[in-house]
Amino acid sequence: MNAGPGGAGRRAARRLAPAAPAALAVAGALGLTTVVMVLAGIDPARAYPALVNGALGDGNLEYTVGAFVPTLGMALAFAIPLRAGEFNLGGDGQMALGGITAAALTLAAPLPAVAGVALPLTAAALAGALAAGISAPLHTRLGIPAIVTTLLISTPAVSLASYLVRFPLAERGTGIAETPVLPDAAHLPSIGDSGYVTIGLPLVLFLTAAWLYLDGRTVIGYETRATGLNREFARYGGVRVDRLALTALAGGGACAGLVGGLIVLGPPYRFVDGALTAPGYTFTAIAAVLLATGRPPAVPFTAALMTILQVGGEGMERDAGVPGQLTQIVQGLVIVIVAVMATVRHLRVRRSRPGGRGRDGVAPQAREAGA
Amino acid sequence: MPTGDGAVPPAAELVGVTKRFGDVVANDGIDLAIARGEVHGVVGENGAGKSTLMSILYGLHRPDAGHVLRDGRRVRLRSPADAIAHGLGMVHQRFRLFPELSVAENVVIGAEPTRRGMLDLAAAGREVERLGELYGLRADPRARVGRLPVGVRQRVEILKALYRGARVLILDEPTAVLTPGEAARLFEVLRTVTRSGVSVVLVTHKLGEVLTATDRVTVLRGGRVTGRFTTSGTTAAELVVAMIGRSPAAAPARRSPTAERAPYALEVDGLTVRDRDGVVRLAGVSFGVRPGEIVGLAGVAGSGQRELVDAVTGLRTPGPGDSGRVLLSGRTVRGGREPDVAYVPEDRHGRGTAAAMSLRENLVMGDQRSSALRGRFGLSSSAVRDRARALVESFGIRAASVDAPISTLSGGNAQKAVLARELSRPVGVIVVEEPTQGVDVGAQEMIHGLLAEARDRGRAVLLQSSELTELRALSDRVLVLYEGRLVAEVPGDEATDERLGAAMTGAPASADAPRTPPADDTSVAGVEP
Repeated sequence: MNAGPGGAGRRAARRLAPAAPAALAVAGALGLTTVVMVLAGIDPARAYPALVNGALGDGNLEYTVGAFVPTLGMALAFAIPLRAGEFNLGGDGQMALGGITAAALTLAAPLPAVAGVALPLTAAALAGALAAGISAPLHTRLGIPAIVTTLLISTPAVSLASYLVRFPLAERGTGIAETPVLPDAAHLPSIGDSGYVTIGLPLVLFLTAAWLYLDGRTVIGYETRATGLNREFARYGGVRVDRLALTALAGGGACAGLVGGLIVLGPPYRFVDGALTAPGYTFTAIAAVLLATGRPPAVPFTAALMTILQVGGEGMERDAGVPGQLTQIVQGLVIVIVAVMATVRHLRVRRSRPGGRGRDGVAPQAREAGA
Repeated sequence: MPTGDGAVPPAAELVGVTKRFGDVVANDGIDLAIARGEVHGVVGENGAGKSTLMSILYGLHRPDAGHVLRDGRRVRLRSPADAIAHGLGMVHQRFRLFPELSVAENVVIGAEPTRRGMLDLAAAGREVERLGELYGLRADPRARVGRLPVGVRQRVEILKALYRGARVLILDEPTAVLTPGEAARLFEVLRTVTRSGVSVVLVTHKLGEVLTATDRVTVLRGGRVTGRFTTSGTTAAELVVAMIGRSPAAAPARRSPTAERAPYALEVDGLTVRDRDGVVRLAGVSFGVRPGEIVGLAGVAGSGQRELVDAVTGLRTPGPGDSGRVLLSGRTVRGGREPDVAYVPEDRHGRGTAAAMSLRENLVMGDQRSSALRGRFGLSSSAVRDRARALVESFGIRAASVDAPISTLSGGNAQKAVLARELSRPVGVIVVEEPTQGVDVGAQEMIHGLLAEARDRGRAVLLQSSELTELRALSDRVLVLYEGRLVAEVPGDEATDERLGAAMTGAPASADAPRTPPADDTSVAGVEP
C-alpha cells in the first residue's frame, strides 16, 4: 500500500514491527518460567526439549494440529465480540451446548452422509449463537456487561449439557457419562491417517479467513471496530450499535458452538462429559487473542503458539516428569505481561501529552485489546 | 520582571521553567512572578503552554529546567500533595467533588477534623462557615453538593483549597461553566480573597475577564512569554496581538438578506422531553431555522440543550413521556441518527471521534454505507483514502498522515476534521455544538468562517455555544433556554451579555419572551422573529 522506494527490507521490518510486543511477552514469560523451573528444581535443559518434542515431535504433530482447530475456533469466539467491545468469557458453555446439540440431533434423527455432518454442525453453531446472543440485550437494554453475563450463563449451560449426557442421552452400562457412539454418517471425514485431523481444520481456517476479510475490508468490519473503540461515536455515525453487539456476540457464540460440534463429531465420536471443557480451550484461546494485541491477522499464529505450549506441556509431563501446570504459568505470564505493557504504553502516552489529563475511564488493557 | 514590592518576595515565582514533551517544547524558559494579594491573569491560546505551566506550579509535572519559589524560597514540588503542603491550591476546570457528600464533607476531605478518632462533622461545618465568612464564600455546610448550582460548587472547590491552607490559588478556566452573573460573583469573591493576602492565578482565554478581574497579565505564546502587562494600562487589542502575534481578522459578516421568508428547513414543534425519571427536560419548545440563517442557542449548561440537539439529530429515541415533533423540510425526524442533519458534537472525544481510529476512518464515519465509498469487495480503502485526503486538503487539517490515529492531532485540527466531515455532507441542516471549544484563535477564525460560508450557501445552522461572543458574532437570532423552556429570542445585533445573561438565569420575562406555545398546543409551529 505505502511501498516506498526503500525496498523490501524496510517494508518487511515495518510489517514485523507490530509483532515485537508479542515476541517480547512470550520471551519474558518463558524467561520467568525458567526461573520458576530452577526454583522448583527442574532442569530447563530437559524440560524445554521435552516441550518442543511433545508438541512437534514424531507422531505428536497430528495431535497438535487436532488441538489447534478448537483453539483457533475458540479464539474466534472471543475475538469476534471483542472487536465490538464485548467480552465473551462464556466459551465453555457455548461449546458444551453446541456439542450436546450436535450429539442429540444425530442420535435422534440419523441422517445420510453429507447432511449427517452439515446439519448437526449448523445446529451446534446455532445453539452457541443463542447462548452468547442472550448477553447482547442484557448489555444493551439492561446495562449488565457481557463479560459478566457470558461467564454466568456458561456454568449452567455446561451443567445442562452434563445433565443431558448423564440421563436422557446416556449410554447405559459404561459407567462413564457419555453418549453412545454416533452413527457413521455423522463422523467427520478425517485428513491423514490418525483421525485426529479432520475437515474441521479447513473449516476453521476458512472461518478465520472470512472473519479477517469481514473485519478488515467491509463496512460491517468498520462499524464493528468503531463500536468497539467508541460506542457513542458509532451511534453518532448512524451505526445500529445494539444490533451490532448482538451480531458480534452471536457470531462468537456460533464459533464456540461449532467447535463443540466438531469435537463431538470427531474421535471418539461421542459426547463425553467434561471432554470439551477439560482441555481448557476457552482460556487458552483468550490468551492467544490477547497476545495478538488487537491485530486480527496475528490471531491464527498466536493460537498456534498457545496450542504448541499446551500440547507440549502435556508431552513435557509425560517425557520429562515436569508438571504440565508449568505451561499454564507460561500462559498466565503472557497475559500479565501483555497487560502490563499496554498499561505502561497508555501511561507514557498520557504523560507525554501536555496537560496530561486522561479523558475517559476506559481501562488501557480493554482499549488495547479492542483496538 | 516586576515582583510587586521590591522588599517582599513574590508569593510564588517560576524561574526559567522549561518543559519538553518529546520534540514539543511546551514551556521555554518561562519566568512568572505572582505577587502577594494580586490576581494574576495567565492568558494564551490553546497549546500556548498555560496548562503545562500550571501543572508544574501544582506539582503535576516536573520541569526539565528551572525551578519554583514560594515566598522567595526554593521548593521542590513532586506531587500535588507537595504543592498543597507549600500553600498552593488549584481549582480544576472539572470539579473534583463527591456529589453525594455534603459541602462540609467535601471541603475537609483528606484532612478531616477528628474528635476521639471520629470524624467531627460539626467542627467541619463550623470551619466551612468560618472560612465562608472570612472570604465571602457563603455555602450551606450541610447541603449536598450534587444538588447545588455550578457556581456554588465552584465555591466549594475554592473553600476546599483555602481550608488546606492555600495562599496561592490557581483557577483553570473558572468561568467556562458559569453564567455571566455567576462569573461576576466569582470575581467579587476573588477580590475578597486577595484582600486577605491570598494570591490568585487566573488561567483563561477570555480577554474580557482578564481586563475586569486581574491586576496584572502574563501572555504566553508557543511556550514563551510574549507579553507582561499591568491590566489597568492595557487593552484587549494589545493582548490579542501578544497572544496570536498579529491582529485578528475581521469577524465574518452576518447573513445574506436573501433568505428572509424561505420556509423553515428545520422546525421544532412543541417538543417536550422527559428523562428516565419522568423529569421534564424540555417543555413545549417551538422554533424554526430557515435556510441561510444561523440561529444561536444559549443557556446555562443543563438547560435542555443536550436534549434538544439529541432530538433534532435523531440520537434520542423518543420516550413515552415525550411529545411534539422535529421536522426537516416538513418530514418528521424519527429515532436513529438522522442522515439529513450534519452534526458537530460538543464532546469531540466521546462522540465526535474515536481516538484510536485513524484520521481516515474518522473522516468517513456516517458515510460508510454510501455508494461513493463502496468498492468491489466491501468498503473501498482507496475511495476512503481519497475522500480523506481531499478533506484534509480543502479544510487545511494538519496531520502527519491520514493513517495516523486522530488522537495524534492537535485539538484544533481534530475539530477541523469533525467540521470537515460534517460540513461536507450534502444536507441542508447543520447542528453545531461549541464549535470552538478548546481550539486556538487561528482555528476559531477559520471555523467561524466555515460556518458563515455554510450559511451563505443556504444551509440552516443551529449553533449551540456557551461563548456569548461567538453567539453574538455569528447568530442572526439567539434563542435562550432556561430549565427546558425557550424563554427569550434576541436578534443577533441586540444580544448583549446583559440581555442574554438575564434570560439564561431565568430573570423575569421581558419583551424578549417569544410567543412560545404551551406544551399541549401543537397548532403553532415556530417562533417568528
